[in-house]
Amino acid sequence: MISGTLMLFNWSLKMDSKSIYPHIIRAVFSFIMFFSISIAFMDAFGTSRTGLRFFETMCYLNVLLITVSGVSYFVTALTEEKDAGTFALLRLAGMTALSITLGKSTSRLVSSLMLLVIQLPFTFLAITLGGVLWQQIIASYIALAAWMVFVANLALFCSVRCATSGRAAGMAGAILGLMLVLPGLIVNGVAAFPAGFVPGVISETLNSIPPAFESISIFERLRVLLQTDRPVVFFGQQFWISMAIATALFAISTLTLDFWSAPVEAGGPSENPAIRRWSVGRSWPMAVMWKEFLFFTGGRSFFIAKMIGGGLLFAGFFVLQRSSIDNSFYTLHGDYAWGAFLTFAGFLALEVLLYSSGCLFYEIRQSTQSTLAAIPLTGVRILLEKAGGCLIALIPTMFWLGATVFSGYEGIARECSMTMVISFLIVLGFSSHIAVILSLYTRWAALPLTVLISAPAFFCLAAPILGLTAATNAVARSQHIEMTLLLSAFVNIFWTWLFILLPIQLWIRDRWNHISQF
Amino acid sequence: MVDVTQQTIPAISVTNLSHAFKGHQALSQVTFCVMPQTLHGFVGPNGAGKTTTLKAICTLLKPSWGEIQVFGSSVRADPISVRRRIGFMPDHFSMYRQMTVFEYLDFFAAAYGLQLKQRDQVIHDVLTLTDMDGRRNDLISGLSRGMQQRVSLARVLVHDPDLLLLDEPASGLDPRARIELMEILRELRRMGKTVFISSHILSELAELCDSVTIIDRGQVKFSGPMDVLLESPDELPTYNLRLAAVYDNVIARIRELPGVDDVREPEFTTGRDFNIHLASSLSANDFLKSLLTLDLPISSFSQQRRHLNQAFMDLTTRGVRT
Repeated sequence: MISGTLMLFNWSLKMDSKSIYPHIIRAVFSFIMFFSISIAFMDAFGTSRTGLRFFETMCYLNVLLITVSGVSYFVTALTEEKDAGTFALLRLAGMTALSITLGKSTSRLVSSLMLLVIQLPFTFLAITLGGVLWQQIIASYIALAAWMVFVANLALFCSVRCATSGRAAGMAGAILGLMLVLPGLIVNGVAAFPAGFVPGVISETLNSIPPAFESISIFERLRVLLQTDRPVVFFGQQFWISMAIATALFAISTLTLDFWSAPVEAGGPSENPAIRRWSVGRSWPMAVMWKEFLFFTGGRSFFIAKMIGGGLLFAGFFVLQRSSIDNSFYTLHGDYAWGAFLTFAGFLALEVLLYSSGCLFYEIRQSTQSTLAAIPLTGVRILLEKAGGCLIALIPTMFWLGATVFSGYEGIARECSMTMVISFLIVLGFSSHIAVILSLYTRWAALPLTVLISAPAFFCLAAPILGLTAATNAVARSQHIEMTLLLSAFVNIFWTWLFILLPIQLWIRDRWNHISQF
Repeated sequence: MVDVTQQTIPAISVTNLSHAFKGHQALSQVTFCVMPQTLHGFVGPNGAGKTTTLKAICTLLKPSWGEIQVFGSSVRADPISVRRRIGFMPDHFSMYRQMTVFEYLDFFAAAYGLQLKQRDQVIHDVLTLTDMDGRRNDLISGLSRGMQQRVSLARVLVHDPDLLLLDEPASGLDPRARIELMEILRELRRMGKTVFISSHILSELAELCDSVTIIDRGQVKFSGPMDVLLESPDELPTYNLRLAAVYDNVIARIRELPGVDDVREPEFTTGRDFNIHLASSLSANDFLKSLLTLDLPISSFSQQRRHLNQAFMDLTTRGVRT
């Protein structure tokens, strides 16, 4: 067993070190770290705790990266074998379930932990800047490592449980998302009901859930650690609980590996043909768009689920608002409008990035790119139809985002300007293009890399956007042109497309055509 | 068989095709021609350039040099119209495994621009041809390899292409599935399709193909009718004689006939088989007339042909290309 595990572990590490892309990822990671430090450093000028601010930024960037890695990189530990149809070969080689889970997941975890280690020289800069102690840095990195181990094992469980990488990523994303929003939902949900309406036992049980989540929350742990007036404990409750849950998840993954990875019964019909006919239907004249919508984004059933889920979330904000400030049925106010807007905008960004990083990789994973490229459509038309299929899948989120803007415009406008919205859209457009091109070079690292690149890119792009908006406004006013806001939006989007997005689009086309040859 | 000489425009015309990958010369001055409504074999060792040639023909690869025409249309200048006339089946399984058989074919039929009404009929026809009609609602992921190969073949037929480009269609199939696939290919030829098939299974190609191209290390070693390739390379033809029973002194009796140069009994035979070399002045017909005078019970008499394996070995070089 040990030799098999070591062999798989060695093989995974060798593959990782032989391939050029993980090294590029690490180099990009280091560069972006340095860039983030520079941004944080500039941001922290004038504050008394420059080192603390800078270190805080790095910690939260790490949390974001680890979480994104969970739904993209760790989650494919076993599903990549299932996707490629090579999982059975591992079993044929006489490897036990423990060898497989240990060998396949540990190498990824080790190489990811190395990414945390390479940051340490940078982070000790925070001590010289002031406001943070070395004990806080070490304790924070222990907490981050525990969070990474927890996320990696949660992803391993999803990888064992699900048949494809896409489903595993969806499951891991849903669980991690739930961990973030569930405590808040429970607290606000219980508070929304009149006193005595919820029975005491249920209320007590529900109220005990948020503290339980808090005990493994990396955000809570970092908040506590970065308060300098408290004594530093290296291995806090978050560390032990995260490690215990991670161990349990690893054990469950190993024990259930055979059960969930049993080969599909060959030859049987797919499902009830009538249900299938409804959920899939006939191919549209724009066949690639149909395929993308039905088989990549989840299709009609997922579309309806998102519509209903979005509606419930939208209604949830109204319920919360009614319980606290007013009885309005049609208008969201203040923080509720802003909160709903941020939630739907966040979902939109997440969906866009997931689709962008997966839509072309989906073809590469199934080796269907040459078959698809051989149909009598140009490469550009195929890519546009793929984008169209993804856009259809975005309709539910965009619909509820629009509904939020419609019902809570005043509250949203108080918090953010139109320029910010334009900046967000431009950065989202840029990020989606980066995700597409990265997915044609790397495997599942496209999404975390996109997040890494987009974070500093936001600062790089925001300044020219603001400058261009101001310049357009000034010129428009001097020429007595009205609707300066729309004009500046148009100018911004046009120049961004011409100088940033168009070159990336041409790059995507060329890379796609190149890959289609194989 | 169709008289190929009457067809003027070749189905595939490859002229001086060359291509290099990062300094490695994959193809060098490849030139050959495939006539319409024929079954053309494309044979070569691993790394000979078969798949590169196929990808160039089916518009996926832009060659560094040379010209390819499919039914007179240039692959470089008009790839979209070429794609409409060809059906390409790659050497690896590339299928949307989460689709059902019907959905998969419906998708490709729609991608080729077929209307909804046409699609039902076409899908029914191709599924019947490939004997997969009973599995139309099955998920592709649940099909065996042989069945997936049939679905792949059905897929390349949905838009009724004139030319089928099949890259190793029989690889990984069990003998039964392989024989059934060859039957389908024969049926397609009868239907008037041109089939360009790359394969390693030489014995089946020899039976199946009208013409063949042998490629080795990026260069064409032979291209032409299968009969020409399989003719004996000796200057004088050799004939195989088989008798219905064993007789004494047969070799000496045949040698005494006029125009016979040599008679030998092949190794590991039961005394009923003989290889006969005739003098150039004697025709096979005249020899057979004189042979009948010996009153031997002849079971069969035929001109000896090389096996495709032998032709392949003679034309290609030993070892893996570096």
